[in-house]
Amino acid sequence: MRLDLSLLIPYIGLLAEGAVMTLEIAVLSLAGSVVLGMVVAIARAGKSATMRRIAFFYADVFRNVPFIVQLFFFYYGLPEIGIYIDAFTTGVVALSIAGGAYASDVIRAGILAIDDGILEAAEVSGLSRRKIFTLIVLPIALRTSVRPLGSVLINIILTSSVLSTITLNELTGQARIVSSDTFRPFEVYVVLLAVYGVLTYLVSTGVSMLHRRLNRDLQPEVN
Amino acid sequence: MRYTDFTPYDLVLLAQGLGVTLWVFLVTTAIGVTIGLVWGIVRFYRVPVLTPVISFVSEFLKNSPVLVQLFLVFFGVPGLLHVDMSPILAATITLSANTAAFIYVIVVSAIESVGRDQIEAARAFGLTRWQVLRHIIAPQAVAFSAGPLTALLVNQLQVTSLISVIGVMDLAKIGANLNLRTLKPFLVWTAVGALYYVSAKLIALIGARIEARLRAYAAFRGL
Amino acid sequence: MLIVENVVKAFGSLVVLDGVSLTVKPGEVVTILGSSGSGKSTLIRCINGIEKLDAGRITVDDFDVTKPRELAEARKRSGTVFQLFNLYPHMTALSNITLAPIEVLKRPRAEAEAEARALLASVGLEDKVDVYPAQLSGGQRQRVGICRALAMKPRYLLLDEVTSALDPEMTSEVLDILAKLARDGTTMVFVTHEIEFARRISDRIVFLEKGKLITNLPTAEFFSAAGGLALPRVAQFLSKMQKA
Repeated sequence: MRLDLSLLIPYIGLLAEGAVMTLEIAVLSLAGSVVLGMVVAIARAGKSATMRRIAFFYADVFRNVPFIVQLFFFYYGLPEIGIYIDAFTTGVVALSIAGGAYASDVIRAGILAIDDGILEAAEVSGLSRRKIFTLIVLPIALRTSVRPLGSVLINIILTSSVLSTITLNELTGQARIVSSDTFRPFEVYVVLLAVYGVLTYLVSTGVSMLHRRLNRDLQPEVN
Repeated sequence: MRYTDFTPYDLVLLAQGLGVTLWVFLVTTAIGVTIGLVWGIVRFYRVPVLTPVISFVSEFLKNSPVLVQLFLVFFGVPGLLHVDMSPILAATITLSANTAAFIYVIVVSAIESVGRDQIEAARAFGLTRWQVLRHIIAPQAVAFSAGPLTALLVNQLQVTSLISVIGVMDLAKIGANLNLRTLKPFLVWTAVGALYYVSAKLIALIGARIEARLRAYAAFRGL
Repeated sequence: MLIVENVVKAFGSLVVLDGVSLTVKPGEVVTILGSSGSGKSTLIRCINGIEKLDAGRITVDDFDVTKPRELAEARKRSGTVFQLFNLYPHMTALSNITLAPIEVLKRPRAEAEAEARALLASVGLEDKVDVYPAQLSGGQRQRVGICRALAMKPRYLLLDEVTSALDPEMTSEVLDILAKLARDGTTMVFVTHEIEFARRISDRIVFLEKGKLITNLPTAEFFSAAGGLALPRVAQFLSKMQKA
């Protein structure tokens, strides 16, 4: 039994490429999740009972079915109905849809936490419902959601490893290549786990900083 | 392989896959809960060296992709230790450890949910740490952790789907085989997804029942 | 003219306003007194359209708040200051004030900001322009709240227990501003527990009891032995409040 990490040095470039792709996927999917989560949160807070039911159904289904099943549904299913998109796009779409189910809950909680008095003040000042939503409700909800949305992002990064099963050479996909090249799977996957650990650590540190920055004005200092 | 349509036997295959999924889920949950509890107790006793090691391992397992953990155990460990590793064994080890990491977090926060003043008061009356754990903390902590535990188990059921990637014949793997054979991805993955969904709902339902009963019991005991 | 006619408002089986009528002429300061739960705040919330009436009618300069089409016009004519300030937490003092003028009245930003700065200066907050509500004291927040309402140039200023959440020192800094507004001829409907202050600045005093309007008298008459004090409930209320 010996552990020799130096044999991975020639493959650092390859792994770095994979890491860059993982980050690209994560950022795009987070954006997709937040947009989708916002739309669904709005639908769930809205007046139409049908829309509320559809929104709830979406969040419920995509949180109770394994991601790999969702992914294969899109990856193998879409070409069947004549939609040909590459593995990268499929992966981002699938991650956005899965992440959106969680993001919608987070944003919904942020919306519900807003003090009624603030909304009344906006209402009596004559702002339209739409203006109140875009200028008051969403900005406040998104700011208070930074931390939980950070957890959604970390989940997206971890889940993106599953995209290696649809031929995508993100971090895990590249590692599989390196593993079969070197016949040293133990070293490869130990390093890979550490890289994911560092990645999620950096993200959670960044999220904490962002949270503090965005909400520094909300900390009551005097009263 | 020849592409063929569905046969009645496919239902048996799906049932078998579901059986494997549920079996792996139950076994790894039992092992994971046991290990997680032991880890939590070690922390409660503030065992030197062991406590920080457990915290680190738990963080590491929580912040890296389960798929990569599976690859490490299935591909990496046999090469390193020169042992045989079957897919089902690798799956059991990985998922048990992963569940343990999350159980550990639930146990720690459940113990912390019981006020420090209660623990100190009991200690002042001369109860040993074990007696405090057994009579003061455990009854309250169990009621506290029922909700998070249910959420975790619903999630862990979905995580089991990843073992299909290393070749365990679980529900997701049966789905993949049927998908290849029939070329009817929408139908196959919808059916597979529905089976996961129903199983997840069942776990949530049982969890909610137990939680309600525990709460009633805790209320009755005046806790 | 702000006209309240036979307004009835109930929450479930609890009747909060029971046939209230009231007229406020431009330039008047009308104070609404009454014990907690008498319906004072609900009356304000009916005038600015937050609560829907069960019966009766409220018109603000002939715009009927019960008609959805006229509500927007009615709201432009009244400005509300709230007990708990209700400032937008994610906006600076300046943005809190300019939001509605820019978005609702379509005023040019530069103009709206210049006016907001002038308003803040008039309440002694010229150095708090770019500060967020959480960094202000309660009294400062309420002063921003008053500026926010005034920025819309309302014909009627509705004040809903605006000092109830403040300690005495902060209360006086807010009351000083209201006294100045009253001297300048601002029309106000003022719900308060500050009886001495109300006596100084009000033209008329209205007393609500269990959702019914019991008296509506000029201030001097309200506090005279033959006027308001002749009513047992009013006398009881005033003596209780003065003891407190």
